[in-house]
Amino acid sequence: MSLELIDVHKSYPIRGGRKDILRGAYGRIARGEKVGILGRNGSGKSTLVRILGGVEAPSRGRIRSSMTLSWPIGMMAGFQPQLSGADNARFIARIYGRNTEPTVESVADFSELGEYLRMPLMTYSSGMRSRLALAVSLAVDFDCYLVDEALAVGDTRFGRAFAEKIERSGLILVSHSPALVRRLCTRAAVLDQGILTFYDDLDEALATYNAL
Amino acid sequence: MSLSGEVALFLRGARMQRRVIGALVVREMHTRFGRHYLGYAWLFFEPLLLGTCIGFIHLLRDQAAVFGPFEFYAVAYVVFFVFRGIINRASTAIPSNIGLLYHRTITLPDIFFARHIIETVSCIGVLVVLLFALFAVNGDLPENPTKVGLAMIGMALLSQGIALMAAALTAAVEGIERGVHAMTYLILPVCGMFFLVDWLPESFQELALYIPTVHIFELLRDGQFGSRIRAHYDLGYVAAWIMVTHLIGLAALRITRQRIGLE
Repeated sequence: MSLELIDVHKSYPIRGGRKDILRGAYGRIARGEKVGILGRNGSGKSTLVRILGGVEAPSRGRIRSSMTLSWPIGMMAGFQPQLSGADNARFIARIYGRNTEPTVESVADFSELGEYLRMPLMTYSSGMRSRLALAVSLAVDFDCYLVDEALAVGDTRFGRAFAEKIERSGLILVSHSPALVRRLCTRAAVLDQGILTFYDDLDEALATYNAL
Repeated sequence: MSLSGEVALFLRGARMQRRVIGALVVREMHTRFGRHYLGYAWLFFEPLLLGTCIGFIHLLRDQAAVFGPFEFYAVAYVVFFVFRGIINRASTAIPSNIGLLYHRTITLPDIFFARHIIETVSCIGVLVVLLFALFAVNGDLPENPTKVGLAMIGMALLSQGIALMAAALTAAVEGIERGVHAMTYLILPVCGMFFLVDWLPESFQELALYIPTVHIFELLRDGQFGSRIRAHYDLGYVAAWIMVTHLIGLAALRITRQRIGLE
């Protein structure tokens, strides 16, 4: 099982032409690998996440995947503000074919939202929202987890549960933080000026990134 | 791949799609009406109220009609409500659900199918309530309920095909959704809701029968009044419209899906 990028191009129309975000990216990420993708601000990290996440299609080339990849962890992908946290969790459980009540229980346990779990999402503080989003992401099993940007979980209960989860499956971490990539990944790629370069050696990738 | 393998794959896909659409229906219901019983009641009251109002307006205007104008217009208005409800919501379906596309199991058509199921089922509910009310008041039941139901389903499917096309068009051309809204009102006088083809001069009859909704309303009236009227319709023509609009709509949505994110 793996995820392969085959000559992936992405460009957007801008005033007076097109802006290239990706110019022919190649790469292969096998099941169980923990790969970091490093990029400076504005290098196209979010675009890459949307392409890997399957929301946007590449302009050219393709992504061939034989493993299940999560939605970006912690993102409220398709969550409805009018619905309660529990109802949103039930929805995610249903579309991934999981039983709803065990999912809600696990979300209640990890999010520590208490009574708020039955309240509409729009009444949540941003901290509560991110706790809910993380807890829901954790309740579904994937072959590989996609993580966008700094996941400031550290040595929290969620952080430990998440570490355990990615230990058993894989991770694609898209970030601008070399420290985070060093902590969580075994291999890394650097995205710079539309070119995505994979390095087998983590130190080499970090050195290249720091020299940018 | 062997044939049985393909069948198994297809069945697994069908099961997953059913699950996803079911989940979307529940989500949409909760979002649209909240988790209050009053909210769900609105689902019924809105078309019922409008249908009743239209029925009353005509009741006051033409007392001397062959059959109760209330049952002629109010019932037809509920069927029209399916058309209007499905098509008017088409333009917002994609922009308001873009986050759902992070979940690989959800496809663009699923989002539409779920909304259309809600719209259709609620209008069928209203229709049943209305028909029972009419029965209670003057003892009239539709002569052929199957035809009434078939008209409702036909209208839902036709609207779905047009809605898929309208959604793809809205995604491609900004601002066109106003035109789509206007269209659902402009079609009102000619859609067949206000007349029977038999009432029209012969030269107009042929023209009217080019409009697919006219056939659907004729089918509805045939189901309601049967022997009391002479209905003109061709179900094959309606089926052809449904198929062609679905084919174009689904193909156009595939293109739309590829272009999402360009904005």
